Amino acid sequence: MIDTTGALLAAAALLLLLIAWIRADKALRDLPFGSEEWLSSPDESKELEACPPEFVSQIFSSGDLTYIERLDSRELERQFHHERNGVALLWVRQTSAAVQRIMRRHVEASRRSRDIDFLTEARIFLQYAQLRAVCALMFVGVGLAGAQGVRGVALYAEQLTQRIGQVAREFDAGFREREIRDARPS
Amino acid sequence: MSAEVKLMPLQQAYDDLLSRSLSRVPCELGRLIYLASTREYNTGHYYHQGLADRFGLEAAQKALAIAHRQAFYKLSAYSLEDLVEELDKYLASTKEDAMECLRAWQKLEPYRIAIPADVNPTVARLFTSNLRLALAVLRFRQGPRRRLP
Repeated sequence: MIDTTGALLAAAALLLLLIAWIRADKALRDLPFGSEEWLSSPDESKELEACPPEFVSQIFSSGDLTYIERLDSRELERQFHHERNGVALLWVRQTSAAVQRIMRRHVEASRRSRDIDFLTEARIFLQYAQLRAVCALMFVGVGLAGAQGVRGVALYAEQLTQRIGQVAREFDAGFREREIRDARPS
Repeated sequence: MSAEVKLMPLQQAYDDLLSRSLSRVPCELGRLIYLASTREYNTGHYYHQGLADRFGLEAAQKALAIAHRQAFYKLSAYSLEDLVEELDKYLASTKEDAMECLRAWQKLEPYRIAIPADVNPTVARLFTSNLRLALAVLRFRQGPRRRLP
């Protein structure tokens, strides 16, 4: 049985999460023109250029914040958090969209494949589920703690995205190789 | 063999662009703006008369596109502090009134057209976001009395 204090704490936590989500969503909607369109290219075959890892590190680093803090202006600090959180959230959305695209392509290739390795499939799916959960966590985390507060999680998500991409690429390459081999007259 | 032959004019055009045109521009932001200005607004194609005459239209276009992307990514990787100094240097090099330039840049955001096509959207957003912040820092540095409406 949940006592009143527990219920109040749970309600407060839920409220906090809701506020963080609304803040993150608002920051994302405040993006300048065209940003949203970049995420979903109408031409699915056209690969969006991946965000280089050094930029991920830069977006979530506290170096620029330290510089702004030295200037001792609350207005500049407020603007910095608004701007940087917006960039961080765009990266989260882009990462989430990119991994969905990878998975969609992988599922299509798997459907056509005759010899599916269950362990590889399970590994890819688990990494995919983990990354989607991390992205959701970061979406809320940026709203609560700012971009700098989720730096470790962001770097982990970046590594995970690269790993999924690598495994899916290896699978696709193997699949194409088998297709070419099967097409050859024996 | 044919790929090598094709690569030669491109490499030469790129080296020529770097050593002749770009080396004369005093700062990285200036180089980015210069390269973006060689792109035709309507078609997105790059054009540089001298380069095209010497190395052919295709090689010139490709060299300009590569240099533009490189300048963009280089500048986007700057720390905010370095970008503020870079912007300051650029504004000083324009020979226009620095405050007037600052105001126009904040209002019109002309640096948006300096973004090359098909770059990563997050990096593009980081670039515009950092420039907005750098402009705000420069305005802040001017002090309240000199700030424009």
